[in-house]
Amino acid sequence: MSIVLPLDEDQRDALQELLNISMGQAANSLAQLIETKIDISIPKISTVTPNELYGLLFETKDAYYTRQSFLGDIHGEVMSVLSQSGLSEVAKLMDYDEPLSKEDIQEIILELCNILAGACLAGLSDQLELTTNLNMPTLFQPEKSNFSDLQWQHTLVMEVQFIIAISSFSMRVVFCLDDESLIRMKDTLDELLG
Amino acid sequence: MSISVLVADDSKLSRRSVIRALPQDLDYTISEATNGKEAIELLAETTFDLLLLDLTMPEVDGVGVLEYLHEQANMLNVIVISADFQPEKQKIVTSLGAKRFLRKPLDKEELAMAMFELGYL
Repeated sequence: MSIVLPLDEDQRDALQELLNISMGQAANSLAQLIETKIDISIPKISTVTPNELYGLLFETKDAYYTRQSFLGDIHGEVMSVLSQSGLSEVAKLMDYDEPLSKEDIQEIILELCNILAGACLAGLSDQLELTTNLNMPTLFQPEKSNFSDLQWQHTLVMEVQFIIAISSFSMRVVFCLDDESLIRMKDTLDELLG
Repeated sequence: MSISVLVADDSKLSRRSVIRALPQDLDYTISEATNGKEAIELLAETTFDLLLLDLTMPEVDGVGVLEYLHEQANMLNVIVISADFQPEKQKIVTSLGAKRFLRKPLDKEELAMAMFELGYL
């Protein structure tokens, strides 16, 4: 049975700030690559059930979806939602020639996930002094996925958004942690808050 | 010497880190703002020697605070401390009068150097 472990105000504040710093590092990596400004949102932290997670991912219409699991001191899954709109402009900035093939699109999506979601998780892990290993992202379709198969009944969701200024492209990254990892993270946050 | 410092950041952890990182050689009177709107309210009613400003904040962000100071022709020394350190953002805050731009997580030595260069140490 799953336990719901809400974060207290200080833990939530600390996690939000650590995520904010990680996002800044991730956005800077991509901004350097495409020489374009990236806007970042204030991170949102919530606890959701698998059904609510499904709804959260489906908020964005006409999107590409990826998921990648991570293991280590904490484990869970990173899901990314990339808008289809504006992707070709981003591809141009990444020096892809038009028209984009299906393989090009897939490569761009996975590259963006590696840069943004990967850097975000790496930044968060570094600051918390936790080890995490992120697996390769894979494309998926939420409507064909069974979210009730997820190993958690409730999960901590950390949601961040990147918007590429000169295009209509945006990407949301959702980090899902199970209860065991949440306990570990809460303990680490408490140590940090000292 | 005592200087009055306004620390504006929506994160309590971050405000605490910034306050802890201040060089010990000086005495401080510290005020805190939890968002840009609060910072502007405090700036309107109090004169500070130094503003340590985050950029990503709710209500009014750090750029909004800098715009306010710019409109008021307020020459207060501002050190921006932000996780969003893209070159474009640095250009914007510099054009609005920020004197230094430091990255989060904040390095104590960098803050001390910035304060030294601004004549506080």
